[in-house]
Amino acid sequence: MSRIIVITSGKGGVGKTTVTSNLGAAIANLGRKVALVDADFGLRNLDLLLGLEERVVYTALDVLAGECRLAQALVKDKRLNGLVLLPAAQNRNKESVEPEQMKTIITALAKGYDYIIVDSPAGIELGFRNSIVAAKEALIVTTPEIAAVRDADRVIGLLEAEGVSKINLIVNRIKPHMIEENKMMSVEDVLELLGVPLIGVIPDNEAVIVSTNKGEPLILGDPGSLPALAFKNIAQRLEGEKVPFLNFASDQGNILTKLRRIFGG
Amino acid sequence: MIIEPGVSMDETIEDASASHLVGFCSQVQIKIEDNRVLLILPTAEEMPLELPWSEIWQEIKYLVKQREQSWPANAAVCLVVGDRLIDNRQLQSVEEVLTEAKLRLSAIRTSRRQTAVAAATAGYSVEQNLLPNPLSLFDVPPPSTEPVEMLAEPLYLKNTVRSGLEVRHPGTIIILGDVNPGGTVIAAGDVFVWGRLRGMAHAGARGNQMSQIMALQMEFTQLRIANSVARPPQKLPHNFVPEIAFMSKTGINLARASDFMKTHSFLLSEDCWVKKN
Ligand SMILES: Nc1ncnc2c1ncn2[C@@H]1O[C@H](COP(=O)(O)OP(=O)(O)OP(=O)(O)O)[C@@H](O)[C@H]1O
Ligand SMILES: [Mg+2]
Repeated sequence: MSRIIVITSGKGGVGKTTVTSNLGAAIANLGRKVALVDADFGLRNLDLLLGLEERVVYTALDVLAGECRLAQALVKDKRLNGLVLLPAAQNRNKESVEPEQMKTIITALAKGYDYIIVDSPAGIELGFRNSIVAAKEALIVTTPEIAAVRDADRVIGLLEAEGVSKINLIVNRIKPHMIEENKMMSVEDVLELLGVPLIGVIPDNEAVIVSTNKGEPLILGDPGSLPALAFKNIAQRLEGEKVPFLNFASDQGNILTKLRRIFGG
Repeated sequence: MIIEPGVSMDETIEDASASHLVGFCSQVQIKIEDNRVLLILPTAEEMPLELPWSEIWQEIKYLVKQREQSWPANAAVCLVVGDRLIDNRQLQSVEEVLTEAKLRLSAIRTSRRQTAVAAATAGYSVEQNLLPNPLSLFDVPPPSTEPVEMLAEPLYLKNTVRSGLEVRHPGTIIILGDVNPGGTVIAAGDVFVWGRLRGMAHAGARGNQMSQIMALQMEFTQLRIANSVARPPQKLPHNFVPEIAFMSKTGINLARASDFMKTHSFLLSEDCWVKKN
């Protein structure tokens, strides 16, 4: 049985697309077949982050219009065996896709892949509904900011109402020195409010921006970096392994080096 | 014995805009009657600000899911729509939600001709009623000053009221779970939160000053009782005890919940709670 997972947040710019591309690559790196679906019609950029932009020929809309077969629209990542992308159309009206159509595509994809990971657009409108329609699981991405957490809470409520009950949380852009100085919400604060299980913590790190700009997922471009490790851990946890959480305790507010166990297990 | 942390009444709503707070509008209700489920939509009168159908539909969905365990599979449902105009598509969308919850839409109760026609065409049995909404407990929206005696049965919710969700009920609301920031609970009666209250709670939303709000942890963004509003104190305590919010002579106050009823009584002449000597 393949797993259909939506990456969503409510608030924009918190790292959904970053998580989708890097987590997708990390899971493929474990030997799984992974299809990434860009559900951000109108503002596609998953292809950019994956460095696959130049190879996009067809999009999900062409598949729906019957202009190509699903297999033709999938862009294979040559660097990582098993990783493919189904691009979204950039130029068309984003209202032109209906949840039912999205479901058809994702259900078809599920026949050939272990993981279908859907990158949802910000907001809770049609694009959001398109991206959750076929999902069995959700990964909520939030940053430790009140507005992002509030929106995450809203989205969790909507997902629960839609019957998506397997919901895990990723807290992105953690800045340890700010938490230490009590200037930022801690992961515990976020967890306590949202009340869904934590599956990963990703530090705010330059390596993420570098990899974004190069169009190279961290697992390929900078596998030794802290965020690469964080994504690898999330991939393993999705696979059911118990991996201790990283603690990015800063040395007197210095670089994030120290790894320590927090949250037992 | 009694702690009354500095919750001050910030403002009392006195102008005309208050009426929408007090003229409480009930939303969708579910009742079980004679072995069938009544799904009652608010009448146009109860909804001064017309809600879009998508929101009513969302709410039906939410409520049905909430109460899933309260009826046998395949139970019949009567949709009570009062004077509301319901078209074929809307009926269909309700049917879909009900089917998902293993319920069966069997009848439509309406006082409106077009709705009756739509329902009959779609093959449902139609119960026509001449009264606006015979099942509403509040046929006439009460004037703001009259406390309302008749309340609906309490609404019991066993989950978190998350951001963006607004729970309204023309009776007392009991929540086993948290009310998160951005979540709203509005009751004509009391509000019980067996958890943390971090969002907004409004008790006595139809004007009853006797109504109270109780929570294991009071961390609200705003409290309202009848037509008074309170914001949280500047400093939240570190150790929370269950507290009760009530109308005192000076506005909304907080007290430790455990001994409240021993130490306070409601003075009808003053229309507020006072300390017993
Ligand atoms: N852990 C991180 N450290 C540093 N920068 C990050 C991190 N995560 C995300 N970013 C940066 O934040 C920006 C927004 O990220 P991204 O595009 O993934 O967000 P999004 O949620 O997909 O946005 P949208 O809602 O617009 O789709 C990007 O420039 C990305 O490089
Ligand atoms: Mg994005």
